[in-house]
Amino acid sequence: MSKPARLEREYRRLLVCYPRTYRRENEEEILAVLLACAQDGQRPGLAVVADLIKGAMRMRLRPAARTPRTVQAAVWLLCVGAAAQLAALVINVATIDSVESAAARRYPPWAAAAVHHVVTVRMVTNRVEEAIGIGVWLLLAWALARRRNLARFAVAAWFGLDCVDMFQAGRSAVVEAPLNVAVGTVIWLLALAASVLLFTWASNRYYRPKPGRALVVADLRH
Amino acid sequence: MQEATYLILTALAAGSQHGYGIIADVAEISGGRVRLLAGTLYMALDRLRADGLIAVDREEIVDSRLRRYYRLTPEGQKRLAEEAARLHANAAAALRRLKPDLAGGVA
Repeated sequence: MSKPARLEREYRRLLVCYPRTYRRENEEEILAVLLACAQDGQRPGLAVVADLIKGAMRMRLRPAARTPRTVQAAVWLLCVGAAAQLAALVINVATIDSVESAAARRYPPWAAAAVHHVVTVRMVTNRVEEAIGIGVWLLLAWALARRRNLARFAVAAWFGLDCVDMFQAGRSAVVEAPLNVAVGTVIWLLALAASVLLFTWASNRYYRPKPGRALVVADLRH
Repeated sequence: MQEATYLILTALAAGSQHGYGIIADVAEISGGRVRLLAGTLYMALDRLRADGLIAVDREEIVDSRLRRYYRLTPEGQKRLAEEAARLHANAAAALRRLKPDLAGGVA
């Protein structure tokens, strides 16, 4: 395969991140610009790739026209939530040693093995939860921007789960790093704010099932 | 108005331009300081189109590649003129206040 053809294929692969409808309209045009910018035939650099992914995410999470501000704000809060969850994951990985030594100080030396076991299990489950969490935040934001009513209730349920998680963390023998507790609180507040915004009067009206659909159901009954 | 948005509108003020033309023009206007990447450019173009500040002027095929030309709408011209006047007033105020010091420095 020739160099320009290979470059074009790489760019097309990156553009797959964009929503299909947007791609149908704009792919050829953006591709032409990308190829013109890479006149020396160099492969896409990290900055170009990151910029395309950012653009694609914005397009996917872009609320439809005439979306109430409350819903727009909730979508934005959920994106911030995903970023905060990522921060929590990084902090947790960085602080595992200090968490373990803090836990070990609270128990006699003969319990060290058990403490190590408990901390490791909790840390691993937390990491898995956080990794899934990042995906959930983004998925909920995407579904809300797509005007899915069910997503509102999923956000409320997600907030409920977060409350349970906070309560359990408070009772756990493993004391989390202070920075992590702070990020956890921020995440909880974001979920709370998004849940409140999604059940305001303006949001309720936006997500109310369209009257057209109700009519179809009524027609079927006859 | 963000600087990138302002520069894109400025690039379109003299006439319609295609995507790569806008990137090159923005780099020139900003003295090479702002180099737009394709993802950022199309994010901005999409938003400006939705806000009615720019519109598609025409399409051309050059070297078997699609070129879409964009132009300012009357609303876009108005917004750019307002923003330019605002920036001009701010810059003039700053220069007025700096002048005594600069004059003192020279003397």
